[in-house]
Amino acid sequence: MRIGIVCPYSLDVPGGVQLHVRDLAETLIGLGHSVSVLAPAEEEAELPDYVVPAGRAVAVPYNGSVARLSFGPISLARVRRWLSTGRFDVLHVHEPVTPSLSLLAVMLADGPVVATFHTAMGRSKAMAAAQPALQLVLERITGRIAVSDLARRVQVEHLGGGGVEIPNGVAVAKFAHAEPLPGWPGEGGAVGFLGRFTEPRKGFAILVDALDRIVADRPGLRLLLAGPSDLAEVALPDRVRERLTFLGKVSEADKARMLRSVDLYIAPNTGGESFGMILTEAMAAGTPVVAADLDAFRRVLDGGQAGALFPNGDSAALARTISTLLDDPAARRRLADRAGAVVGEFDWPVVARRVLEVYATAIDASPDLSESARASRDFDEYMPGEGVEL
Amino acid sequence: MHDVAWVVGVVVTVVLVGTYVTWLAARLDRLHLRAAAARRALESQLVRRAAAAAVLAEQSDSPQDDLYLAARGALDTPGGDREAAENDLSRRLRELDVAAAKAEPALVEAVEAAGRRVVLARQVHSDSVRDALALREHQLVRWLGLARRHTRPAYFDIDV
Repeated sequence: MRIGIVCPYSLDVPGGVQLHVRDLAETLIGLGHSVSVLAPAEEEAELPDYVVPAGRAVAVPYNGSVARLSFGPISLARVRRWLSTGRFDVLHVHEPVTPSLSLLAVMLADGPVVATFHTAMGRSKAMAAAQPALQLVLERITGRIAVSDLARRVQVEHLGGGGVEIPNGVAVAKFAHAEPLPGWPGEGGAVGFLGRFTEPRKGFAILVDALDRIVADRPGLRLLLAGPSDLAEVALPDRVRERLTFLGKVSEADKARMLRSVDLYIAPNTGGESFGMILTEAMAAGTPVVAADLDAFRRVLDGGQAGALFPNGDSAALARTISTLLDDPAARRRLADRAGAVVGEFDWPVVARRVLEVYATAIDASPDLSESARASRDFDEYMPGEGVEL
Repeated sequence: MHDVAWVVGVVVTVVLVGTYVTWLAARLDRLHLRAAAARRALESQLVRRAAAAAVLAEQSDSPQDDLYLAARGALDTPGGDREAAENDLSRRLRELDVAAAKAEPALVEAVEAAGRRVVLARQVHSDSVRDALALREHQLVRWLGLARRHTRPAYFDIDV
């Protein structure tokens, strides 16, 4: 089918939504669909050939960080042109309730619209004030997808409406076959942490404290750290610091290599994780995960079968879990095997097929296709179970 | 001079109010069309699910009479009792012991796929009904009776 996808953020800037859009588009193309992605980007930026640039994005402070958005008369004209030349069977917008290309596309579209809500964002007061305006956008959306239970709950509470939960996908193959960094994981054991380690809720201090308890007994133990933060801003005891290898901010490819380079991936987050993308990535890489027992993590880790859980915030318990697992390769293999099975349902081709079911539902429920137009279309194209290879 | 200003003022007001009411009526039409289309889509998914369940019941190596009857019931029951019949089918499908039924995997997968589509179609239908009902409650829509031309959409209350 012909699918138009709108990404509100610049594709040349790394970010969760952008990565999701790229992976989804490439997976759908791989499944034989025709996909065009509209996104803000400089004209001269190097982009995949399925991307249509919609002009330069403007940096706007939003929800505690800076979002790069395109919005205005020029964007409006480009969205209109993209929609009319694309003649899409379905339009799939991401984050439609921010002032963005996505919102413009929803207001201009006259065919079936599917929207994906990524973040659990928005203060309820601001949401409540904007409700009548948001309603005009939301009532043009037929199929709603939330990437996490938290994002879905925000929709139910603030935007009035349900939506199906379809998790973020993971490109399992990219992680499963990445080359470990030279010399890693090494003989003495290696643990990894990736993320904004200066943010308290990421729990890096808990990992540091846990390592501080065990490094003396484990002369070869090393910590591989990556993240877009400044190492000078965190307190590190010297004996942990001397075991640390810091990679700084890593690319997607290096992230996969980093995850393949350690014996254990540690996720000591104390809260606020709506899904735990990094967990599924470590699982895809075949690296056993040790995570805090947050609800979201517990769900992804199959209640502790596909990764070890420790009581949230308890660095002594984390230290014990790390020690036990480093000494027990068989237990690590069991966790990794189970994780490999669990992560299959997050693999992009599986996730994309579920998204295609939402597309088919939205097309079916769209009043804009008159009965005759519906009949004249290639019926099989939309109907799973009736000939469509979804 | 004064009179002209008055006339202009009244004309502008009438045009603005008229434009707003026209827009509101068009929006109301759109939301009702949408709810009706979502209803048709949901019903066709329910038929597809019942048909897939009936085929599964017939082709299983062990007899699945209860499932077959529930599927027939969902296909044959018209109007108000439809929800109960669909709920009965949902329950039978939940209770179905796939291993004991010894059915072909393709048939089981067809029923599961149809079930997922019913869930999606019901979600879309509920969203569109809620949007339409909310606009019917709009003050101006009620005062002007704009919704009189449309049948009031209803939720389809099934457990899937």
